[in-house]
Amino acid sequence: MAFREKIGWLSLIAMAVTFGPYFAIVGARSPSGEGLPNLRQLKLLAVMAVAQMLIRGVGHLLLRRGAAHDARQPLDERDRAIMHRSITSAYYLLILGMIVVGCVMPFNSSGWAIINAALFMIAVAETVHYGVVVVSYRRQT
Amino acid sequence: MMEGSISNRIRVLRFVNGEMTQAELGERIGVTRQTIAAIEAGKYSPSLEAAFRIAHVFNVPLAEVFHWEAKAAAGSKPVA
Repeated sequence: MAFREKIGWLSLIAMAVTFGPYFAIVGARSPSGEGLPNLRQLKLLAVMAVAQMLIRGVGHLLLRRGAAHDARQPLDERDRAIMHRSITSAYYLLILGMIVVGCVMPFNSSGWAIINAALFMIAVAETVHYGVVVVSYRRQT
Repeated sequence: MMEGSISNRIRVLRFVNGEMTQAELGERIGVTRQTIAAIEAGKYSPSLEAAFRIAHVFNVPLAEVFHWEAKAAAGSKPVA
C-alpha cells in the first residue's frame, strides 16, 4: 500500500472516531435552550479536535517510521493527479455547504445549529477528500 | 469519440534489461514504485513525458513500450 494511501486511511479513521461521535452527540441533543456561548458543546468540540490532532500526529509518526523511504519521496504525477481530483471534489462540496450554511440557514436557524452545520460540512468535505484519495489509490493499484 | 485501450510491454522490457525492478525504473523516471506497478497493470496511463522517459530508459521507441488499440464499435463493419 502506498504511503499516501495509508495517510488517507489514517485521516478517514481519525475523522470517524472523533467527529463521528461528536455529530452523533450534538445531533441527538435537543437544540432548544442552547444559546451562545454553549460551553459544554464547545468543550466537546475542543476534546474531539485535540483527539483528532493526536491520532493524526501519532499515526503520521508511526507510518513514517514504518516507511521512511516512501515518506521522503516527493509527489509524482499520479499522486498529484489523485490529490487534484480529491481536492476539487472536496472544494465544490465545501462551497455548496457554505452557501447553504451562510445564505440559507440564517433565515431559519441560529447559534450552534449554524456552527454545527458549518462544522459538519467541513467534516464531510474532509471525508470526501480522503475518501477520493483512498478510492483512487485502490483503483490504480 | 473513438474508444480504445492502452497496453504496455514494461514488464517484458524490465525483464530483458537485467530484471530491472519497478523501484529502479521508478527512480530513473521520477515516479514511485507504486506508480510503475499501476502503469504496468494498465490501471494508470502515464503522462506523455513519463512515457517517453520510460522508452528512453529501455532505449526503444515509444511504440515498442505502449500500444493503443481501438475498440470495435457495436454494429460497425471491420475495414477490409
